[in-house]
Amino acid sequence: MVTEDDVLKFISTIKNVSTYNFTNYSEKSFKRRAEKLLVDYKTDINGLMYRVSNDKEFLEQIVRDITVNTTELFRDPDIWATLKYRILPKFKKNKSIFIWHAGCSSGQEIYSMLILLHQLDLFDKAKVFASDINTQMLENAKKGQYKYRFNLGYLDNFDKVIKENPYNYDEFKEVPYSQYFDIDKAKDIITMKKFLRDKPVYRKHDLVNDGNIFYSKFDIILCRNVIIYFNNKLQNSVIELFSNNIYRNGYLVLGAHESILGSVSNNFDRTKGLYKKKPF
Amino acid sequence: MEYKAIIIGGSAGSFQVVTKIIAALPKNYPLTVFLCLHRLKHIRSGFVEALSIKAQMPIEEPNDKDPVKHGRIYLAPANYHMYVELGNKFALSTEDPVNHSRPSIDLSFESVAYNYNKKAIGIILSGANRDGAMGLKAIKNAGGIAIVQDPKECQVPTMTSASISATKVDYILKTEEIIKFLLNLR
Repeated sequence: MVTEDDVLKFISTIKNVSTYNFTNYSEKSFKRRAEKLLVDYKTDINGLMYRVSNDKEFLEQIVRDITVNTTELFRDPDIWATLKYRILPKFKKNKSIFIWHAGCSSGQEIYSMLILLHQLDLFDKAKVFASDINTQMLENAKKGQYKYRFNLGYLDNFDKVIKENPYNYDEFKEVPYSQYFDIDKAKDIITMKKFLRDKPVYRKHDLVNDGNIFYSKFDIILCRNVIIYFNNKLQNSVIELFSNNIYRNGYLVLGAHESILGSVSNNFDRTKGLYKKKPF
Repeated sequence: MEYKAIIIGGSAGSFQVVTKIIAALPKNYPLTVFLCLHRLKHIRSGFVEALSIKAQMPIEEPNDKDPVKHGRIYLAPANYHMYVELGNKFALSTEDPVNHSRPSIDLSFESVAYNYNKKAIGIILSGANRDGAMGLKAIKNAGGIAIVQDPKECQVPTMTSASISATKVDYILKTEEIIKFLLNLR
């Protein structure tokens, strides 16, 4: 059992020996992650703090363990249908589209976006940036390889977003999976095509400390199911960062059950589960 | 009011039971009702709409950090764990499934037990796995009331039987008796 006191001590230990600051992470979920660490490493809170203080590599491993990396291809198909039919077509006349996947995890959301852009003939004009605090996840994202059988839902989601049109049930476009990824059933692996894998620029990025590291503003920022792990204060500062770096009339895409709280919400209009930066 | 929150967990075979229970609760029912139900992977949306047709109380799937209000029904969103935090706010998370389930009934029940102590009522319904047994135990240990649907009435009795062996439950009731119990709380 980990007490609130233990958690505070643990957080301040990490803060003292590194740039990582978990002070404003959501209390309950951080506590649960800490409890899991004790089980996984068969240690107690003092043992954990000792190792974190004396072993840099272990510290990095702990940071990777603390982050939650759940994601999937076209998670919440409705949101992707909105992007496909209502949002992305607005950028057809632009010379370029700047997109940032903040907290991209193992990359499924990046590939969802790339496939969609390709379907809409926007692939070449898109500049796609992706970041995460977890370097292992960035490597996984670059690799673009996922389990096949465990992720059969990916194919359902692909069909819903790419082949079907929720606004017109008579419409059906046959798009072979092989255009975007190879399925190896024997090895139980899905591999994204090279032209997709080569597209994004990947950088390690900590939403707590780092500002905009890409030297560009963005038309669309996606940050899905990341800020649920932050408290109100940190949520607001992250949304503030996004708000300052989205072009007017650009979009912020959060998780289906995340919302913007506090005064920074005045910078956005909520439309169909997406946030549009106000034009003034 | 002696009690503040009711939390209902269910899995396979529970949908009709839940529907009956929430349909029977009147519009001005004063307690907060949490629903934590497993759903089939491909049925992720439309669930809250289906329930809201039957419910008289307002029902919604909460967003992260939404305040918890009285007189409302809250359904754990598909593919998220749902917690109630001190200060009466929701917290959602996409951490790994627990007992192969997300939402996990155990996690939701434990957070309600921690938050409401003896003012909580936990109810476990029909289901095909053991999720919920530890959660109901947490409700009981915190001084709340533990109820399970009568396994004889359950389409799939695994979940209720697991709960009964994990903790000394207060009541084993049929659907109609559960409804009567909840209405008599007022």
